[in-house]
Amino acid sequence: MMAISTKTTDHSRKFKDFGDFLSTPGYALLPFKFHRISEEKEVLVNEIGDFLVTPSGTAARIVAREVNPENPSDLELYADLIANFFISPSPLPDLIEVLATRYRTKKSFLDYFTSLHIFVISLRCEHTCHYCQVSRVTTDKNRFDMSQFHIDEGIAMMMKSPNPRVTMEFQGGEALLAFENIVYAVEKTKMEADKHGKHVTYVVCTNLALLSDEMVQYFYANNILVSTSLDGPAFIHNKNRHKANANSHQLVIDGIHKCREILGEENVSALVTTTTLSLEYPEEIVDEYVRLGFHNIFLRPISPYGFATRNTNKNKYETARFLDFYKKALARIIQYNIEGYFIREDYASIILKKILTPFPVGYVDLQSPAGLITNVIVFNYDGSIYASDEARMLAEMNDQTFKLGTLGENTYEEIFYGGKAAALSEVMVNESLPGCSECAFQSYCGADPVFNHTTQGDLIGHRPTSSFCQRNMEIIRYLIETMDRNKEIEKIFRSWITDRS
Amino acid sequence: MEVLQSDSLLKISVNAHVYTDVMLAKCFYWYSNNYEVDFRKSGNENFEITLKPLRTSEVIDWTTIIPKIKQDLIDFKLRQHITDETKTIRELIIAKAFIYFDDEDAPVSEISDPVGFTPQSIKV
Ligand code: SF4
Repeated sequence: MMAISTKTTDHSRKFKDFGDFLSTPGYALLPFKFHRISEEKEVLVNEIGDFLVTPSGTAARIVAREVNPENPSDLELYADLIANFFISPSPLPDLIEVLATRYRTKKSFLDYFTSLHIFVISLRCEHTCHYCQVSRVTTDKNRFDMSQFHIDEGIAMMMKSPNPRVTMEFQGGEALLAFENIVYAVEKTKMEADKHGKHVTYVVCTNLALLSDEMVQYFYANNILVSTSLDGPAFIHNKNRHKANANSHQLVIDGIHKCREILGEENVSALVTTTTLSLEYPEEIVDEYVRLGFHNIFLRPISPYGFATRNTNKNKYETARFLDFYKKALARIIQYNIEGYFIREDYASIILKKILTPFPVGYVDLQSPAGLITNVIVFNYDGSIYASDEARMLAEMNDQTFKLGTLGENTYEEIFYGGKAAALSEVMVNESLPGCSECAFQSYCGADPVFNHTTQGDLIGHRPTSSFCQRNMEIIRYLIETMDRNKEIEKIFRSWITDRS
Repeated sequence: MEVLQSDSLLKISVNAHVYTDVMLAKCFYWYSNNYEVDFRKSGNENFEITLKPLRTSEVIDWTTIIPKIKQDLIDFKLRQHITDETKTIRELIIAKAFIYFDDEDAPVSEISDPVGFTPQSIKV
């Protein structure tokens, strides 16, 4: 039983009586930024990511001290600005500790350091996808599969992570071509995790074409999650993902059914890779996910890494085209929700969680400081260690900028706290990047030096020509504007960021 | 603000007492995707900014761009004002956020939680 004292003093209450503000002649500004989201509206975003959509010109009125609580038409705005930490009645806000704690919470994804450990268990693949960034069609296991020595060294390094909960993700090539390596790695990790008191989540990324009953049973016995790729209906998927003499789409659907049956629906996920062809079929791709009973869909643009950048005719597409595709697909997803079928778009959900909640979101591509090293590390099939998945793809183009060292040769300290990691950390914070430093969407967006380097040949990057910036700025603007325009959609968006999977 | 325009060039002159070089750099940075931007002080009173299209074949409709520049100049002036005025409090927030980094306990504070009662007043 809890008794709450009713005696409160004015200085200790977060929400004072409104009359307390009326005599305030002026107010102090708290740090905030603004962005015009339409002709009529602008969004104000404060240092901890809280936002307010206001009529255009409001930021100017705030700065000019024109928001006057004695004016009835300003009463509500004034109260919102105070309650949401945009202005303060006193130069040093009473709630400075709350602001500081909220700021710290937003950045708390850094607290435990690296969680995602990607093991590129084999570079071999039996598909010949035209946009494929790294794979080799070969039977040369010795050259393109990860050796047991490197697996052991990778596990030892993973065990040194300060994070008590780590994820071990097996990627390829096609990871199932090296299933025996996966089994070896999982068995070894189980023993090591016991010794080090770590909780390990296992994920296998696979196209599912080689999935056997034995494999699914092993995944089931070891709580291994399956992440696959589904690019949409057969005519898109098969075109994107060519497999000689086989129907790749049918194979992945059979695999999804088999995994769901044994592992449970929640343990099987699928990702869309958007290509030039996909851009013409946003609705059809969403429909396919709904047809297959998915309740989430992740609309990723194709990355500019590896072999993809060389296949200009097939893969190059304008950010504007992607945004158009994205908005159409999002509209279809929203329509399904309105009609009663729950399905969320994952990229929007990540951003919405940042916009609508005080919680940190540890998504590698949208973090500041960036997720490379602090959140993810990649152990390549040949023992090389890279700062992110995209960094190892870049390495396949003979660009070793983000190579941090080699398993078995470098210590944990050399990799994670070495000169290269330190140099990278200088460009991992969007608060200090040109363009981003003044951007209202800074706390919803991130820094991506690997993308900058790949697309612009510069770790800092040039925001006005960056497709990362163009894409994120427009998606964030669009989500805020849509929520403001349509409260039913805001409700749907909010349902996407609750715990329902 | 004075504006001079030709097919291949836009010249703007702004009062240096109203707009600082930092504001201008931040503002015209966003025009560097389509224009070669140059700005320099002319005398003590003005900054002269020149925009030249990067793609010379393009015909530019300056009449739509000039109002946008005017708006952006005002916006970046405002942004700078907010940044300057809130610099100390921002540093304080960030310093306070991480000063407790090594502490096991949450920051101790006189401040109430969001529902309007002090945590110290709760008796379990
Ligand atoms: S990348 Fe663009 S949208 Fe993202 S914070 Fe930087 S300026 Fe803003």
